[in-house]
Amino acid sequence: MSKRILCKFFAHGACLKGEHCEYAHDWSAPPNNICTFYQRGACAYGSRCRYDHVKVSRVQPSGSSSSTGSVGPTISKPTATSGVTISGMAPVSSAQANLSPSRRQVLPPTIAAWSQQSENNDTLENDLVEGTRSDKPADQVICSFAAAGHCPRGENCPHVHGDLCPTCGKHCLHPFRLKEREEHSRTCEKMQRHLEALKRSQDIECSVCLERVLSKPTAGERKFGLLSECDHPFCITCIRNWRSSSPTSGMDVNSTLRACPICRKLSYYVIPSVIWYFSKEEKNHIVENYKAKLKSIDCKYFDFGSGSCPFGASCFYKHTIKPRLLLQRWVLNPNMYGYSNLLGSDEHNDNEDEHFSFADMDAVRVLSKYLFQPHRGITGEVQSAIDEMKLLPYSEKLHKRYSGDYDEEDLPTPWERSFMWSQLGCDTSDIDEMEFLHYLEEMDKMYSGDYDEEDFLPSERAFMWSQLGYDMSDDDYDY
Amino acid sequence: MVDFSRVQKELQECNKDVKLSGISVKPKADSLSHLIGTIPGPVDSPYEGGTFLIDIVLPDGYPFEPPKMKFLTKVWHPNISSQSGAICLDILKDQWSPALTLKTALVSIQALLSAPEPDDPQDAVVAQQYLRDHQTFLGTARYWTEAFAKMSSHGIEEKVQRLVEMGFPEALARSTLEGVGGDENLALEKLCSS
Repeated sequence: MSKRILCKFFAHGACLKGEHCEYAHDWSAPPNNICTFYQRGACAYGSRCRYDHVKVSRVQPSGSSSSTGSVGPTISKPTATSGVTISGMAPVSSAQANLSPSRRQVLPPTIAAWSQQSENNDTLENDLVEGTRSDKPADQVICSFAAAGHCPRGENCPHVHGDLCPTCGKHCLHPFRLKEREEHSRTCEKMQRHLEALKRSQDIECSVCLERVLSKPTAGERKFGLLSECDHPFCITCIRNWRSSSPTSGMDVNSTLRACPICRKLSYYVIPSVIWYFSKEEKNHIVENYKAKLKSIDCKYFDFGSGSCPFGASCFYKHTIKPRLLLQRWVLNPNMYGYSNLLGSDEHNDNEDEHFSFADMDAVRVLSKYLFQPHRGITGEVQSAIDEMKLLPYSEKLHKRYSGDYDEEDLPTPWERSFMWSQLGCDTSDIDEMEFLHYLEEMDKMYSGDYDEEDFLPSERAFMWSQLGYDMSDDDYDY
Repeated sequence: MVDFSRVQKELQECNKDVKLSGISVKPKADSLSHLIGTIPGPVDSPYEGGTFLIDIVLPDGYPFEPPKMKFLTKVWHPNISSQSGAICLDILKDQWSPALTLKTALVSIQALLSAPEPDDPQDAVVAQQYLRDHQTFLGTARYWTEAFAKMSSHGIEEKVQRLVEMGFPEALARSTLEGVGGDENLALEKLCSS
């Protein structure tokens, strides 16, 4: 019962409590969109509030249960009759509406808004008590004061005091939640290592501005710029300035500007880092982290397939294509047959036959729909797919495959497989229909235009791209 | 915009070991973007015993652009113009690096004095003489050092004194004298024309 509402930390992928969380870790659970200020009787936004102004019979168990004692009996009658009451909105009493926000904060915000209309709120109180009570030791909430460093209530504290974390020296380890303990120790040690590295990096000076990098005035400047090929320290601003300075009086970009100002060794990229390194492993770690981060950012030159990136396959950024863009490009320029052309690279032209073009995919999609809904007969859509002759080259290709050594591995998409099987007169019910329909839905969503990459989990995305014949394997960086 | 905090640091650093290296950098006026550098002539060279003044102008891009340096003191050297004092040195042009400082640049110039590069000359006449008639070159270089680069503090004071007696303010007389490398006649000419 207590896990009815979606955990907002889980929604951001950052809930550390795991299975012990009081809130639901289930996407189907409704999100908590209830205004907490309204619950306490003083939402300054009134009817304009973004959150729901509804009564809840049950208050979520939370750490701030200390204020619950004053709820209930101290109902003060509103001085004026209640004003506008829109269903689901806050009944704002005129007296309250006249108060300035600062004045309003002085009022003890402990009375639920609806209770000002002298409603009974016994249910609220009862449920509160129920909500905070728990039986299993793992469900107990640890004292947040102790976790933050010091609990003023000491021995008399009603909450469990966590065990001492050896790294951060705080009583923040839950005695019964092993997973949470591990998680904390891990993050805590990581933080500690980072802090130590920061301390050691404190004295490192930039060789250009001759200042301590970590003592610079703004946070943006307090970063090192690591050169890939040598170990001379610079601040990120200086090294970037140098590398981007306009070549005056015959300075050569490739030999002078890209070289280390001290040893003149050429480095092709600069890695920003808040800490300096003292070993090769540390440097590698920083560089790998940086590359991994860039890999998750879409390349602005590639622009989802509508631009062209000068760095090609060695680009540090992510090269992804929006299917609709791909389709549009194909429609605009049908001569560019085959996905490798669409990607703007010439590398795959030789083995173009290995892959199917986007047009084929489109036709297969239509056809596979037909395959799974044979009762609908050949609809206009299917007919037009055939009419446009899009299907023809594809069937030919399939036949070619069929006549040779056909291997199921060669046909990675469900559509291709289903098509194959239908050609062979096989029973297509082998295919996990539900799974298939799910993909069809996704595809439809993409085509209909409201496709957003964020909608997909990485694995799904990878699958989508593989469906589109996009080769994921050439995404490694070799310099 | 010149990075003045770096220039200030450089000046402090450089003036710390003036006694050891003999190289010093001082601001010419109030601005830190116009400086005067001093280098002693290297030993075992015809420039030994001389003190050479170098005019340093920092461009806006400093330290990402090289400082503009030229000799104020007249020098007889294949890589330094005997007319303008312009210096032919790679680190002041395409081989500049922001890790170099004014001091390291001046040290490089000092090294250039003891090791001329006649194959990449700034002053063709001097370079030719250096290659074809080395003895005459050494003689001329030594004479120029003697004539223009020897300005003992005593001599300078006398010159300043004389200019003051002629009616010029002392500070102006001193800076003008420094500006022309200690040549009293040139200083007088400059003072009169200004």
